[in-house]
Amino acid sequence: MKYNSQRVAWWFFATCMLLFSLQIIYGFIMAFAHVGLDGLHPWIPFNAARATHTNLLVVWLLAGFMGAAYFIIPEESQRELEWPRLAYVQLAALVIVGVTAIIGFHLNWWEGRKFLEIPRPLDFLVVIDVLLFIANIGMTLWKSERKTTTALVLFFGLLMAALLYLPGMIPTANQTMDSYWRWWVVHLWVEGVWELIMGAILSYLLIKLTGVDREIIEKWLYVIVGLTFLSGILGTGHHYYFIGTPRYWLMIGGTFSALEPLAFLGMAWYGISMAKRGGRAHPNRTALSWTVGCSVLSFVGAGFLGFAHTIPQVNLWTHGTLITAMHGHMAFWGAYGMIVLAVISYTLPLLTGRRLYDAPSATFAFWASNIGMISMTLAFAVAGVTQVVLERRVGMEFLQVQTEIQVHFWGLILAASLFTLGITAFIWNFIQHGKPVGELDTSRDAVEPAVASAPVVAAPSGAE
Amino acid sequence: MLSKSAARTFFLVGTGLCATAFILLTLDTISRVPKQSHEENLTPAVHRGKDLWDSNNCMGCHTLLGEGAYYAPELTRVYDRRGPEFISAMLRDPAAMYPGQRQMTKYGFNEAQIADLVAFFQWIGNIDLNGFPPSPVLASSAAPPIAGAAGGPPDDGRPRVFGQICVACHTVAGRGGNVGPVLDGVGDRRDAAYLNRWLHDPGAVKRGALMPKLPLTEAQIAELITYLSTLRARQVTP
Repeated sequence: MKYNSQRVAWWFFATCMLLFSLQIIYGFIMAFAHVGLDGLHPWIPFNAARATHTNLLVVWLLAGFMGAAYFIIPEESQRELEWPRLAYVQLAALVIVGVTAIIGFHLNWWEGRKFLEIPRPLDFLVVIDVLLFIANIGMTLWKSERKTTTALVLFFGLLMAALLYLPGMIPTANQTMDSYWRWWVVHLWVEGVWELIMGAILSYLLIKLTGVDREIIEKWLYVIVGLTFLSGILGTGHHYYFIGTPRYWLMIGGTFSALEPLAFLGMAWYGISMAKRGGRAHPNRTALSWTVGCSVLSFVGAGFLGFAHTIPQVNLWTHGTLITAMHGHMAFWGAYGMIVLAVISYTLPLLTGRRLYDAPSATFAFWASNIGMISMTLAFAVAGVTQVVLERRVGMEFLQVQTEIQVHFWGLILAASLFTLGITAFIWNFIQHGKPVGELDTSRDAVEPAVASAPVVAAPSGAE
Repeated sequence: MLSKSAARTFFLVGTGLCATAFILLTLDTISRVPKQSHEENLTPAVHRGKDLWDSNNCMGCHTLLGEGAYYAPELTRVYDRRGPEFISAMLRDPAAMYPGQRQMTKYGFNEAQIADLVAFFQWIGNIDLNGFPPSPVLASSAAPPIAGAAGGPPDDGRPRVFGQICVACHTVAGRGGNVGPVLDGVGDRRDAAYLNRWLHDPGAVKRGALMPKLPLTEAQIAELITYLSTLRARQVTP
């Protein structure tokens, strides 16, 4: 940690840990409801649990991205945050809005649009909050003489994420158009600008952890985000097959979304090859595990499993079944959950001054949560395929099919328990690190070689 | 070898072209959706129904146009599949319709609101969805054909109301729900008078009966009695 204002990142990450735990609890409520144990139904009906589960995910990922940006931007632009106090206010506001929304869900107060359930008045508060955040990192970057590609990609990813929240508020009485605009937000976030954010964080971590030259890493960052938008923007069409929009979306969406795995394949290749090239010099191997793991699992979850049901002929049968839940879980975990945990693993020792990355809990957290999530995905896959065959192909009644696939939800609960153990270990490790009291390190990161284009802060070499 | 500035150009040009194409396609879609979704039938009742659908987060359990959660049935074609009577009865008291099954919240809608929701489902059911949801292609190989989900003429003489309401819980010839007892051979077990009393009010025939009193007309009950009486064990359904 080189700048005082970077400390605020810790508070964002602590928020992540809290909201993530809550998200897992709501996941279990839903899994148990699926096997018939729905005793909480009068207080937490399934739709409330579901809205809470997905919205907590969005909020903790956003909190993670913001925390990452508050850490990365000062470091990349080599100056303190423009308004350090505003960052704390903005975090508090985000938490208050999030908690209000979640309480609202339990009182049947929501918009009822998948992933955008937050009630309309709170939508505006979210936008204002995100704009404050953008202004803060934007000004920090603007006033700096050092504008790195990594920092710019991160900034524009976050700015576009804020702007793309707006189409979701376009009023319409037509369910088809309602869906149409909803995917402008949801798809263009997760298969568009969020990948920009992810790519930028990945680049930052690879620069720091592998010691490969910045120019090389940032060149490939451009290629990867280029591939992302080349496939991802028109790939939105894979949500427009069967909602009442023109038939040409079948062809356009099918073609371009089939290319989407390329960006993720690039990401995986990027992570692995840079890690190899750098010879893994950095002592924080846990952070490197999360970083490379993220690039690989995002390809499996978002790229491969997404591709598996994006072809219109397949999607005709799998659209609206648990197959989507299969893809969704590993995609969000691999691409976004893991990048946030990677950046936390990397920054925590720097923020707190304690190096616990070799602790058994850190290693256990990585393996248990990943094996757990892969097993969860398999459970969803078996349940989903069975549902597709029995309900869609054979034409059995919905509830009858649900009884048939109940056993796979016990499998899901088992796998989710392993996942939860892993995350518990991660949070334990987080708590062990303590508060952000780490001393400022005025030297350049020992691993990163000097970059010709950037002014180097002259200082004697010290600890990393 | 690729230079950094070439990589940046690839990113900027690719993104620019795709974004432009996407915006043009969106404009075209906006102009075509009203026809494809039959917006001329989008009455104020449909609009109110959509507001109810949204404000109660129905998508948090059900899917509509294949979008939502996967905890409760897909409702895109529910108007054809179940008919307005069933939908209304379900909205009045979900637990009564599916006793002891996966629970749906009882929202306490008034009759006007229920009518709005039914209008909404009817409108949704008429959108041209490019072939979704597909009809079950393996249905014929698994068991004798059932009454067409699209409301086509039933093959084994079953009344339309049976194909909409009764099959939600009861199975005949291997097809239907598993909430209530199988009805094969019911014609041997029960006579017309019993069926008549039962269909008017199950609770009056058997105290604590799980089957709810359904909103059936006299004509529908007569049809059902005739049909159920033909379900005899020795008769093999083709």
